[in-house]
Amino acid sequence: MDIGTLVAGLLTLAVLSFLYRDNPVYKMAESLLIGVSIGYFLVVTWESTLMDTMFEPLFAGDDFWLLLPLLLGLLMFARFGRRVAWLAKIPIGFLIGSGAGVAIPAMLYARTIKQMSATVVPLTTSSGWPDISGIVVLVGVITTITYFYFSREHEGVLGRSAKIGTYFLMVFFGATFGFTVMSRMSTFIGRMEFLLTDFLGLMY
Amino acid sequence: MKRLEPRHWIFVGLFVAIGCTMLLKIPLEIPITDQTQKMYDYIESLPEGSPLIISFDHEASSLPEIKPIALSILRHAFRKGHKLIGVALYAEGTLIGYRLMQETAAEYDREYGRDYAYLGFRPQYIAAILSMGESLEQTFPQDYLGNDFQDIEMLRTIGNYDDVAGVISIADGSLTTHWIEYGGGRYDVRILAGVTAAMVTTYDPYVASGQLNALVAGLRGAAEYEKLIDREGGGNRGMLAQSTAHLYVIVLIIIGNVAYFRSRRKGRG
Amino acid sequence: MERRLPLLVCFVSGLLMFIMYFSSHPTARLINLTVPLYWQIVFAFTLIIGVASYLRNNVRGIKKGESRPYRIVSVGGFVTMVAVAAIWGIKADTPFMWIFENIQIPMQSTVFALLAFFVASASFRGFRARSIPATILLITALLILLSRTPLGNLFDFLPDLADWLRNYPSMSARRAILVGIGLGSLTTSLRVIIGIERTWLGGDK
Repeated sequence: MDIGTLVAGLLTLAVLSFLYRDNPVYKMAESLLIGVSIGYFLVVTWESTLMDTMFEPLFAGDDFWLLLPLLLGLLMFARFGRRVAWLAKIPIGFLIGSGAGVAIPAMLYARTIKQMSATVVPLTTSSGWPDISGIVVLVGVITTITYFYFSREHEGVLGRSAKIGTYFLMVFFGATFGFTVMSRMSTFIGRMEFLLTDFLGLMY
Repeated sequence: MKRLEPRHWIFVGLFVAIGCTMLLKIPLEIPITDQTQKMYDYIESLPEGSPLIISFDHEASSLPEIKPIALSILRHAFRKGHKLIGVALYAEGTLIGYRLMQETAAEYDREYGRDYAYLGFRPQYIAAILSMGESLEQTFPQDYLGNDFQDIEMLRTIGNYDDVAGVISIADGSLTTHWIEYGGGRYDVRILAGVTAAMVTTYDPYVASGQLNALVAGLRGAAEYEKLIDREGGGNRGMLAQSTAHLYVIVLIIIGNVAYFRSRRKGRG
Repeated sequence: MERRLPLLVCFVSGLLMFIMYFSSHPTARLINLTVPLYWQIVFAFTLIIGVASYLRNNVRGIKKGESRPYRIVSVGGFVTMVAVAAIWGIKADTPFMWIFENIQIPMQSTVFALLAFFVASASFRGFRARSIPATILLITALLILLSRTPLGNLFDFLPDLADWLRNYPSMSARRAILVGIGLGSLTTSLRVIIGIERTWLGGDK
């Protein structure tokens, strides 16, 4: 067994020890994971973003416009000075504003219009019979939307519609729960495969 | 040592159920679902040498579930001789993506730079998706290994999404949504995905509306894909254990409810 | 000035990116390429600030003696990653990636795998048919789970029924949620650009 497998196996067992109860071994492993993850994320982002797309072209004299995001980035540090803290809101304004500008057409077209147009489909089959599935989708979308309509009290027709909407939501939550169980079990199976095969050598 | 609580016995039961069935190693016959078949058919239908972007949009935590999906799709694409461009929109996917591509490329004697390239990671996924839509070279002036974009033979003809046959997002969260809404919605690139089972219901509306062209879901989807490409892997190996885990959870739900109704009846009495 | 300038930057950048969406003029394409690249760079700086806060909190904690061993291990892990990256780089087959592959990946995926146990425990303790909605939820979950076992294949109708539930009623509820989120994001984005929504500026004015 190589040292990497040994370390990985011992740390896997340290994390699994949490199943018995919270303990110092688990806490150590958890703390190590936090530190290592932050270090990893910082280094990878630094290397792939600041070095590759900013400092290298800037030092090579290829693109002096890059001084602009550099300035915006440096302004973020203004939040540490009390009198100049407001300057940090300029890059935040840039991020939020341009993000919102890009999001409007995407939300309108790709999310709202596309989804609504997929709901409005012929409700009969080519042979003239009602398309039950299509009707279910239409009723499901309308009643679930009414459930999330909070500008009026849920009474009368609106109340009944919202109640049907909750049933559709429960089907969604039930299906999601079922698939989530599958997902979590798959992750555990993957770890068990590592323990039984690579670490303990019980399975080949 | 403290006395074991009821939850501990549930945990022990799950350990035993999964551990024992894994040691049994009995293969399970599984039917192929439409969405897995769609992914297979699309990769199969492309002419040899078609460029595809494989985006590793996942974290390390979901690797046990994601890896069999990614491996089977990569194996199929390499076997068909397609040109694969790897990117990562989550930092943790960076090395994982590179390793998976390297491993599968070696199985089919594919060469770096000619048959596949790995561009690495860019943060702010919406920004990365949008800028790749304008220029892949400007978004990734260098690849993961530090080579200049123009020095990589297979990338010389790639400008943006117009020059690729599609994007396959391997994801464990909602990142594929951004590929659909920004990549597909704005640049009209074909989006396909391999996702963890927990995310399946999130993507169902996009599958129904045709915005997502194929969806390989979870370990089960990986097992189906392995069957399609006739190559056993982690998906198939885990099927019996997963089925046992499902049955275990079903039994727990039933026992819990029987106990609940009995206590309610007693309460009334 | 302190509020107007950030608001102006927000308005101009928002309007610019909104208009550029509808244009394929070379200048528009250049802006569509450049602005997202700038986001990435500014984001990297925000990350540095986050890391600085993490270090400051932990160093303070170590000095005060609060959970000292755990904080030392955490900061030690962080410093090691940065140090090995600075010395040997971060590409494949470096010590940096050895730590990622043999420490970070196994631990992170095992933390995630713990959820399998809590899902099983929750199924036993909390998944009860107390009301009609709860019963619908429970039956759907059971059908979905059962359809993915060999037992489910014994009954021909079961996988089909589970797929129908997923593809129609469940999908329709998710679609309604998506549309709701879409409309909500749309209006919030508009409010941000035109300056009605100002909570990001902080303060109570």
